[in-house]
Amino acid sequence: MKTFVGLFAIDAAFGFAIAVTYWFVAHEEAAGTALLAIMGAALALATAYAVLAERDAHLEGDDPNETNEQAAGEVLGVFTSASPWPILIALCTLALLTGMLWSPLLGAAGLIGMILCFWRLGAESARTGT
Amino acid sequence: MTTTDHKKIGIMYVVSTLTFFVAAAVLATLIRAQLAVPENSFLSAHAYNQIFTLHGTAMIFLVIAPFGIGLANYLVPLQIGAPDVAFPRLNATGLWLFVLGGITVFAGLAAYGGGAATGWTAYAPLDEFFEGTGAGQDLFFIGLLLTSVSTILTSLNLLVTVFLFRAPGMTMWRIPIFTWEIVATAVLVLMAFPSLAAAFAMALIERHMGGHFFDPAFGGNPVLYQHLFWFFGHPEVYVMILPYFGIVTEIVATFSRKPVFGYVGMVIAAFAIAGLSLGVWAHHMFTTGAVSNPFFSAVSFLIAVPTGVKFVNWIGTMWKGSIVLTVPMLFAVGFLLNFLIGGITGVMIASPPIDYHAHDSYFIVQHFHYTIGGGSMFALFGALYFWFPKMFGVRLGERIGRWVFALLFVGFNATFIPMGFMGMEGMARRVYTYPAIGHLPLLNAIATFGAGLMTIGTIAFFVDVLVSIRRRAPVEDNPWGGYSLEWMTSSPPPEFNFHALPPIRGRRPALE
Repeated sequence: MKTFVGLFAIDAAFGFAIAVTYWFVAHEEAAGTALLAIMGAALALATAYAVLAERDAHLEGDDPNETNEQAAGEVLGVFTSASPWPILIALCTLALLTGMLWSPLLGAAGLIGMILCFWRLGAESARTGT
Repeated sequence: MTTTDHKKIGIMYVVSTLTFFVAAAVLATLIRAQLAVPENSFLSAHAYNQIFTLHGTAMIFLVIAPFGIGLANYLVPLQIGAPDVAFPRLNATGLWLFVLGGITVFAGLAAYGGGAATGWTAYAPLDEFFEGTGAGQDLFFIGLLLTSVSTILTSLNLLVTVFLFRAPGMTMWRIPIFTWEIVATAVLVLMAFPSLAAAFAMALIERHMGGHFFDPAFGGNPVLYQHLFWFFGHPEVYVMILPYFGIVTEIVATFSRKPVFGYVGMVIAAFAIAGLSLGVWAHHMFTTGAVSNPFFSAVSFLIAVPTGVKFVNWIGTMWKGSIVLTVPMLFAVGFLLNFLIGGITGVMIASPPIDYHAHDSYFIVQHFHYTIGGGSMFALFGALYFWFPKMFGVRLGERIGRWVFALLFVGFNATFIPMGFMGMEGMARRVYTYPAIGHLPLLNAIATFGAGLMTIGTIAFFVDVLVSIRRRAPVEDNPWGGYSLEWMTSSPPPEFNFHALPPIRGRRPALE
């Protein structure tokens, strides 16, 4: 996690530095300064979250001497291997976008379909514990 | 179709991108057929515009960038010792958004008035006038919106997976360079792709909902579209190259029988390239006169430094190594040679005076094909030959593979070296025909001949795939003597990747 924090902190600092430099060089051109500043802010947000998350984190992958035996728990974990909802969510997204342009009915169907898919996906996730 | 297994999703990405690649290659063949002779009327201007638009769009959005992401889907969990990605259902959603997005873009060809014909950049106001008034243009925007959302979701997923799902002992400074390059790519995607989504959403609002973001008559600014597009567009170039840097690093280190030379330098260079690439977007806009040319020129020159570091490291890895010239290694060496030409011509046009001269000419076509075609595409083929045994438990043919490499390498250079000279003679890009003046007829004939060789090479590759799958010669788990974790599981790997994780105490767990 420390690498994660450092990585994003350096990236955020770079984002702000290049935004300030760009503003000095071309302050009459606002779009570029805005894009770079937003980039720096987004990276700073990720860094702030990482700092908070890092305080309580213990990741086996961060310890160079951790063994598989030390990392193993009683339950190895439960993982999903199939779900019908992703493909349906993608289809509904396409229906929503095309419907917004040409057919409000199709758009509404896409939106309702997406909501239903997310609802069922949540239920599936709760049922399988994944 | 309902799978959430990262390996199957990765393979579906690869198969989808290769399908789109075949379509884009057919379009490229049509382009070269049209330009084979001067004043040709094989294609109309409008058909040509649609074809080159779809060729560029498919190669960029549906082949090279998603192949890297798809391969990462397959490899990253294996390389870090994870059972799957962090969010398997999100991963599947990303795949299907990508596939549907690609189909939507191609579906534009069937629309009344034809497909998008504005070039892959779809500049405002071109998308509202001339070539861009039909539903095909809308389907272009919708399809690419879907693929950009897909790329964002997958990048987020890969980033979380690498940070949180590493096996015990697999510290960040032990993960393979390919995975590092994917981390850099994912950060880049998260910074750059929202800008593209914004640009396309604004274009759709302008086309259908009365928006005027880019219309000067209502206080809008068409240059704003270019800013938003290229703020995505130049980082996208590195989204299309960083994973391939990782592929080449893995191949070169494996077949030089040496550890990666300058591992830390490689990682720092990847992030330096990613960071700098976010500050160079307006070098595509030098000729607008609306941007700070010195700033963008200086930052563009700077990118050559970390890229040079990578070249030094690749050569350092090969230096005094026991080099084995297998087919993947041939493609890696081909990548180094071609990408070098792309990089050097890139440094040339990072200089505004040269760019003013070369802008919108075939010199630019040559430059970006050497980076993305001669670079990424060669690494793509190298990756297929290298990881095919792991994915399918079948090794591709070595002899036919050498023919594939030779045909593609000679064909590629025969196609694109002449384009630099065409550009210098003033041939403009994106024109459907040209007059018979100077050396243009000869240069174009050579380029079309080269494209023919590449077509034969591509067909030979697919023949190789079919023959190898049909023959099903048994392959061991680590046929190349690879060093990273994916070579320590079966070929193909079991569900959730490893029956038992090996101890990880260094950067080359398979050899330690």
